[in-house]
Amino acid sequence: MRQAFAAAALAAALSAFGASGGHAEDVIKIGVVAAESGSFVSAGNTIPAAERLATKEINDAGGVKIGGKTYKIQLEVRDDRTSIDTAIAAARELVNDVGVQAIFGTESHDFSIAMTKITGPAKVLQFTGNSTLGQFLTKEAVARGGANHYVFQTEPQEFQRSGSTAKGVLALLTPLMAQPPKHSVVFVANDVAGRYLSSHYVRALEANGQKVDLVYYPPDTQDFTALLTRIKGMKPDIVHFWYNGDETLVAHPQAVQLDVAPAYFLFGVDPGVWRERKLTSGAPLTLSCVPMCWGAPPTKAAAAYFDRYFGMGATKGVQSSVSLLYYDYLHWYVKALEAVGRLDDPDAVVDWLLKSKYQGVVSAAPLVFNDRHQVTFATEVCLVKPNTSGQFKCAVEEPPAAPPPGDPGN
Amino acid sequence: MDAAAMAILLQQLVNSLAISAIIIMIGIGITLVFGLTGIINFAQGELLMLGGVATWLLVGRAGVNFFAALVAAAVIVGAVGFLLERSIFRFTLRRPMNGFIISLGLSVFLQHFVIRFWNSYQKSIPDPVGGVWQVGSIRIAAVRVMVVAVTAAAVGFTFFAISRSRHGLALRAAVADQDTARLMGIPVARYVTAVFVYGSALAGLGGALMIALFPITPFVGQDVVVGGFAVALIGGLGNVAGAVVAGLILGFADGLSAGYGLPEWTEAYSFALMILILLVRPQGLLGGTEGPAIV
Repeated sequence: MRQAFAAAALAAALSAFGASGGHAEDVIKIGVVAAESGSFVSAGNTIPAAERLATKEINDAGGVKIGGKTYKIQLEVRDDRTSIDTAIAAARELVNDVGVQAIFGTESHDFSIAMTKITGPAKVLQFTGNSTLGQFLTKEAVARGGANHYVFQTEPQEFQRSGSTAKGVLALLTPLMAQPPKHSVVFVANDVAGRYLSSHYVRALEANGQKVDLVYYPPDTQDFTALLTRIKGMKPDIVHFWYNGDETLVAHPQAVQLDVAPAYFLFGVDPGVWRERKLTSGAPLTLSCVPMCWGAPPTKAAAAYFDRYFGMGATKGVQSSVSLLYYDYLHWYVKALEAVGRLDDPDAVVDWLLKSKYQGVVSAAPLVFNDRHQVTFATEVCLVKPNTSGQFKCAVEEPPAAPPPGDPGN
Repeated sequence: MDAAAMAILLQQLVNSLAISAIIIMIGIGITLVFGLTGIINFAQGELLMLGGVATWLLVGRAGVNFFAALVAAAVIVGAVGFLLERSIFRFTLRRPMNGFIISLGLSVFLQHFVIRFWNSYQKSIPDPVGGVWQVGSIRIAAVRVMVVAVTAAAVGFTFFAISRSRHGLALRAAVADQDTARLMGIPVARYVTAVFVYGSALAGLGGALMIALFPITPFVGQDVVVGGFAVALIGGLGNVAGAVVAGLILGFADGLSAGYGLPEWTEAYSFALMILILLVRPQGLLGGTEGPAIV
């Protein structure tokens, strides 16, 4: 009798386990690899925060409907610790062990490129907001059977981002300067991303009539005074602090103390941070966001997005707007899955994404992937009214359609 | 050299003084702990970070005056040092390599401790002094002068405490021959604790000075600790004057190489100089201890 009872109990337990196993099959696992610690944390933290918001919205709206079944999104977040080895290990785990359908991340250009070597062969879609991918997303590479067929670049091509930014910076600063600026110095970290990004920005400034000098600093520099004094000797009209918003906020006050230039531009520093830290600048100053500023959102949709984003508990950081390089694309990807109606056909999902348009938050115009799996949208630049912390005048200049002279375009 | 070039050179020399001050502050803590107790504490950079975070909490959150926070940061980090020495490093004195490995783990632990409670974003405080002085064509930020002055005071106090005081004499005796020192009634273990606590307090002070100059993150310690060890080794272990000389050399090498060399090679110049000096003067520029092997 006891044995029969035990057998019945075991059968019931197995049945219950089987039922919960059934529930486990009704989820779509989505991977996120991002720096939740380490030097890129400012941008990295925004990726899981954006995807948590998108996941909540999708699940709260009833989930993903595929072939008569409803699935919930299950986010699998891994911290790459700003270490390429950790990012690769995380991608391997997510693809091989966890079995994710797609991966979003990372914030770091070379990390993302390394991860494509894992996601590509496994036919796992990878959405990554790194403009450096342009070098690898050739038409041949993204064609079916190509090495990067499953990779999508969620940030505009770098010549477009640089062109939009350079136009905005010069348009906003020039009226405030005693003479039209002619000589710019671009000050940038000496790493893979810094070298790549600045090469395009220099061309964009030259295309807008600037003579440009480029000065690199060692990554993780704290005291910039020696290099800034060197730049002061070059007598620039504008110093452009390019690319790492956290390091820029360390360097810029030192430049002001040394009176290095009559005007400045800080890339990747949100006006919201400027306001919250009660920072001020006597010299004309512009800030830019990647791609829209939470401190001065240019559209109602963007303002509503940031309300929801921070409402979820996300930290108001220097680069919180980077979240917009990821948020729209999870929604778009889910639409693709529903349209294709299958979870086991990533090629069909890729095809659907390429022929569809998506009206997201990041752009006033619908997002479209071009034939190299890249999108196009503008970058917002804001002028800080001198000696104020919270008064901004912003511009969203359309990106150029073609690269400027000397810029190979990728 | 024309007037403009001379002005730039003078500005570079002024800039280098503040760079040197921070390097010296972390270097002295390391040279005392490493040179006089034999403890190789790579978490010294994180102790500096804790000093910066404590200052940020006190000034930014609690509204405490910066100079009061400066003292409090040194006391708080000194107390942390006391706990660490009593609970961890005391048990590694006979096996310094164990202490070294533990300190590597401790540095990661302390980073994540701070992240857990106060997140990983930059932390900054308003300029506690404010103002920039224009001397001819040279611009001197008052906060940098304050940092150099506080460092000079801390260095002076440390130097005289070790070279002139009764306790300094006992400490040096303990380093030279521990058994004899014990027989003479010197409480060697207490001196080890005291040196570790003092070195930690100096790191806390350095952190407070650093956040007065720059925003910091929980990872700032790993950027400065290698420079601190370089200062300790170049100057001679346990040698305060040596640490000052080494800090000035590295600070000026840093500043001038950034100003006139290939900017992206700035750190390489400084560490190439360190390699050269240690090859020529293995005992350090002013000589030092080898650190007590066994306590």
